[in-house]
Amino acid sequence: MSVKETSSNWEPKILVFACNWCTYAGADLAGLSRLQYPPNIRILRVPCSGRVNPQFVLRAFQRGVDGVLVAGCHPGDCHYVTGNYFTRRRFLLMQRLLEYVGLDPERFQARWISGSEGPKFQEVVTKLTEDIKALGPNRKLRDAQ
Amino acid sequence: MKEITLQMQELARELLQKGEVNVVLGWEKGTFWYLSPPAFVDKPEDVERLVYDDYCHHNLSKYLMDYRYQEGKVAVFLKGCDSRAFNILLEDNQLEREKYVLIGIPCPGMKDQEKAKEFGVNGDIPLAKKCQECKYPNPLVYDYFLGDKKAADEAAATKEAKAKEYSDVEQMEKMTSDEKYDFWSSQYERCIRCYACRNVCPACNCRECIFDQSRTGWIGKANNASENQFFALTRAMHVAGRCIECGECERACPMHIPIMLLNKKLIKDINELFGEYDAGVKVDGVLPLGHFDKNDPEEFM
Repeated sequence: MSVKETSSNWEPKILVFACNWCTYAGADLAGLSRLQYPPNIRILRVPCSGRVNPQFVLRAFQRGVDGVLVAGCHPGDCHYVTGNYFTRRRFLLMQRLLEYVGLDPERFQARWISGSEGPKFQEVVTKLTEDIKALGPNRKLRDAQ
Repeated sequence: MKEITLQMQELARELLQKGEVNVVLGWEKGTFWYLSPPAFVDKPEDVERLVYDDYCHHNLSKYLMDYRYQEGKVAVFLKGCDSRAFNILLEDNQLEREKYVLIGIPCPGMKDQEKAKEFGVNGDIPLAKKCQECKYPNPLVYDYFLGDKKAADEAAATKEAKAKEYSDVEQMEKMTSDEKYDFWSSQYERCIRCYACRNVCPACNCRECIFDQSRTGWIGKANNASENQFFALTRAMHVAGRCIECGECERACPMHIPIMLLNKKLIKDINELFGEYDAGVKVDGVLPLGHFDKNDPEEFM
């Protein structure tokens, strides 16, 4: 976080965990098709959405991220056959747990975005950025330093 | 319970004299009248130490982990929640069933130690909170059963009907997100990271806990609000689907953090999302987060 950051020029930081086989390709397609989406996201490529450990999400919030999106292949399409089914169970729980400890539910989202869904990628990222802009900077779970 | 104490001592003496087991795990009277810490009896003449009273909170199954690699058998007394803990340890392949002689005892519910401290010996001491909501007061797995099994089962049936679970979780859910955050912050800023909740938990049986690893780089050791919340949420997620609601974490916590309020939220959600499930009731290798169903709720479209 920059020391110059003020409320007037604040822009959200959003971390997107994108699965290598679907969502990363979807994001690539969005780029190739010249679809415009907000530059607030940072894409982090993971082999599978099942690779995303709930602790990664917590750590991101600790270190000053305003929103997290976990995205992977649609159920049934996983490159590793079943990875995203486990992701679904895990993050259904995780979402509820984070809401339970007081995090705004909009800040942590999961979506299925396939390699051919460039427009969906654009739409999801735009919506997420707008939602988080409306909420303002995240102070919860954050490490003070 | 006097009667059960005598039966316990008798059976323990018999097992030790015959040489069937090397050690018997039970409870003994502690420093104060409201404390009954675990007892490890390995000589027949010491069995008199064993007691069973209103304060035998300790979950003995977790202590079996210390005997995993030793030769010979170990006998252990199990209440309802202890037996679920034993099942979870079996499920996680931490224990071999044949190495342990399980002695089931019915549990009328243990009394609240904090209240006991407050009210004194002659006070009317209520049951501990976890015991008021207990669904399984009788052991689910055992080799011997002490006490009256039928009476115990009947008592269990009436108790189950009365169990009003999750009312505190629901109350919590109704708060606004800022209220929730303030509540949990105020709880976890007291946390001293002693890891007593982890050490006492039968579901926390990793060979090396991630909070003991020093070079992962993404786990902080600092004791501050943010790191404590990270610990709290990570611990809750790690025992999700395996928490047997014995409430030991909360009892062991020196700072009185309502840890079960997090665990119960996860149990409630698992029940709602993936079907009714009670951890440690069956040993079938099917854990809520260890498998999936293609028809699980879909919210990520």
